[in-house]
Amino acid sequence: MTREKKLKVTIDSRELEVRPNTTILQAARESDVYIPSLCTLEHLPSYGACRLCIVEVDGLRGYPTSCTTPVEEGMVIRTDTSELRSLRQEILKLLLSEHPASCLFCEEHDECKEFQGTIRKVGVTTGCRYCPNDARCELQEITEKVGLTETSYPVYYRGFPVEKYDPFYDRDYNLCILCGRCVRVCNSVRLNGTLSFKQRGKLTTIGPAFDRTHLEAGCEFCGACVSVCPTGVLSTKVSKWYGKPDSQVATTCVYCPVGCRLELQLKNNEVIDALPDYDSPVDQGLLCVKGRFAIPEYILSPERLGTPSRLTPVGYEVISWDQAIDEAAGRLRGTKPEESLVVVSPQLSNEDLFVAQQFTRQVLGSDSMISSVMVDLGNDLVPFLELAAGGSTFDTIEGARGILTVGFDSTYGYSPVGTRIKKAAQEGALLVTLGACDSNLDMLSETAFQMDHSRWAEFLGVLADYQARGGGKGKLKARKEWTDDIERISRAFSDSSTNILVVGPEAIFSRARREVFEKARVLRDKLGWKIIIAHPYTNLLGMLAMGAFPGVKPGECLREGTSVTLSFPLIDLTKRKKVVYFIGEGRFDMLPDCDYLIYQNGLPPATSRQPDLILPASLFTESSGTTTNGEGRVLKIEKATEPFMDAKSDWWILSRIAEKMNKGKLKYKDVAGVQTVIKRQVKGFYDSRRRIGFARINAEETTKWLKGAPNQEWEGSGAGKNPSYRGIPLARVVAGMKVVDEWVNTSLLSEKEAR
Amino acid sequence: MPEPIRTILEKHSREPDELIPILQDVQKEYGYISAESVKGISKYLRISENTIYGVSSFYAQFRFTEPGRHSVKVCLGTACHVRGGATLLEMLERGLGVHCGETTEDKRFGLERVACLGCCALSPVVQIDKEIFSRMTVNRLTEQLKEYE
Repeated sequence: MTREKKLKVTIDSRELEVRPNTTILQAARESDVYIPSLCTLEHLPSYGACRLCIVEVDGLRGYPTSCTTPVEEGMVIRTDTSELRSLRQEILKLLLSEHPASCLFCEEHDECKEFQGTIRKVGVTTGCRYCPNDARCELQEITEKVGLTETSYPVYYRGFPVEKYDPFYDRDYNLCILCGRCVRVCNSVRLNGTLSFKQRGKLTTIGPAFDRTHLEAGCEFCGACVSVCPTGVLSTKVSKWYGKPDSQVATTCVYCPVGCRLELQLKNNEVIDALPDYDSPVDQGLLCVKGRFAIPEYILSPERLGTPSRLTPVGYEVISWDQAIDEAAGRLRGTKPEESLVVVSPQLSNEDLFVAQQFTRQVLGSDSMISSVMVDLGNDLVPFLELAAGGSTFDTIEGARGILTVGFDSTYGYSPVGTRIKKAAQEGALLVTLGACDSNLDMLSETAFQMDHSRWAEFLGVLADYQARGGGKGKLKARKEWTDDIERISRAFSDSSTNILVVGPEAIFSRARREVFEKARVLRDKLGWKIIIAHPYTNLLGMLAMGAFPGVKPGECLREGTSVTLSFPLIDLTKRKKVVYFIGEGRFDMLPDCDYLIYQNGLPPATSRQPDLILPASLFTESSGTTTNGEGRVLKIEKATEPFMDAKSDWWILSRIAEKMNKGKLKYKDVAGVQTVIKRQVKGFYDSRRRIGFARINAEETTKWLKGAPNQEWEGSGAGKNPSYRGIPLARVVAGMKVVDEWVNTSLLSEKEAR
Repeated sequence: MPEPIRTILEKHSREPDELIPILQDVQKEYGYISAESVKGISKYLRISENTIYGVSSFYAQFRFTEPGRHSVKVCLGTACHVRGGATLLEMLERGLGVHCGETTEDKRFGLERVACLGCCALSPVVQIDKEIFSRMTVNRLTEQLKEYE
């Protein structure tokens, strides 16, 4: 690419060189010239609503808004004349005539902050508390910068009731200045179209059609609108009155394998909010509801386990860590390998998983280590792992010309993938959706096929077959009702240079998944399609790399270019175990009969079988480490706060028990120590420049390895539908997720009935 | 999708520019834009229902409630306003139990306001269906409404 030629312009009598194809506002900001603006925001299209960014340009009539005027060679621009200043003040006054302004203009303004906290025995609020956004409000900032100290217009209060009936965030449209940021982010960045301007003139409001609730209108609750609102209209329910956060920590979300970057907002050593990072290459700031809103309530749940405790005939007894480790070591010592079972969670960090497999193998001398992914996928595990390990990066969607989704919906999860698909479709890529019910992607798809799960594989098969034969030659063997459609879309797909198949949870948890996996493999191997498997097992690739599957050694699957056969030893869940050790897992449907249950997690399980020993574990915001996302990138998890009460990291607890049992190797004192050992055993794992590559997993030979797996609920509320963290459904601790889950379940039900 | 809306949609291409012509045709056919029509249009044009509502609510020509069997239009032009048009409207809103722009539950009356009917000398003026009633009073209006079913 040739370097863009810079343009020479004069801003406030300074001669500057600026990039071409920018607006005056952008150019000024890049040259450190301040122009006030309320409606402009990076990543959003220009709009020109607030009129505060007006400037004078020689040769242009009037006062153009700098956010909508492109820079041109030789422009002479003035941004700060007395004329502009007084105009801006007047514009701001008009804007504030519909915005309660007690926090802006008040005789007590300066003293207010000082006397707000009073020393009294009862909680008394002094000062105004009309708006949760005090001290983080852009309107306050701009008012100060524009130098407005009083207003001559009466304030017209629009008198809308505050909308509190939707989950996650409240809306007080009395504070709205109609800058349109929320509408633009919803429509142009998230491509979701929940918000729009309604009516016009002084009646203008913002919201969905027909006075529907956001839930009804298809809102994803991604919180993008909340993040961009310059005033206090939109506020997170959980943290709205916390005020300005003290600090923020960048980390990675571990709720699903996308691995979005989060800016955790901290106040008083608590995580109160999580914001997106629009510059993150993995997710581009396109968080889903889980990462955006479901973290603080989980971490700060009143149910959190804070102290080690032991079950006695009269209930739980709080014990010290020394006692707890003694107890655990005593129970595990002398247990024969086949009498113990370790259950790990795919949502643990790489380091925790590595120590957990070391613990199982070197301390317990066993290989019986299971996880929810193994139980959910049962004997279809190997083909599933094969596809997941050979998946493509999310940004391949951006260049794809043909996209086929199977059982995929990105309303409440996998937003960075879903939004990229929407964007590609909007820019002209062919999108075809295949599902049993409506998907949020149907809107932009060329054709939305709805049929029962059992026919998906057949559909894919016919498509693959037709494409492999290069179309027209020979007769298409397909159901009559498909013939035209398949021919049409197949032709479109064969014209495309890059095709992508996205396999969603509906397909992964359907009865016909094995055939779907097989057809996906055919599309990939024979026709060069790219595959993305949208599964819920966060650190699945980390489990493979760390060897947290029975019969899989650390690093064994990472030899790119080779092939590997996974042979799982038979694990029999029907046999009674002496000790079962749950590490970061709370799903008790996997629990076989046992004499003694050690439960190490952040929240108590919801079950009648009480654990005999409870070890409180810290969660991902409370300890450092790394996680591997679905693309194979190793992403950093940063410790943001101290652990809750006495909770400890999983690797720490395992190391201490191992030490107690005098089983040499696990003497880890910090997470860096674990990483040093991983570096030695798993070559190139922390090479952050590239994603980890996997050996080709041999999917042809698959053994039956699991006996007595719990019956799976097919086509229903499986792991994919109701998201969980460490085996605890988010809906149990996060009020809003409960509303969302119920909504998903009832709308599915009504759809089924309608059919 | 009901048949008429499908026929309307098929007359137009699937470009977003067609939104307003489609809305106009739907309104002509049904007399209003129903939630169901919006859904149909949304699927056809691949624009979200919310955006369609946003666009159509901008224009005064589109309405979202089913019109009543009889339309009652109260003039609130300057002359009518001065001579009590607002009182008539308020009385109607209370009497019929609907707001301006809405339709009574039994679909008997749809209440609207207009800016001027062009006969200010006869103010205050109320138009019921096609008939103009001049120098209206609350009592006469109440009596008049009884004649419509």
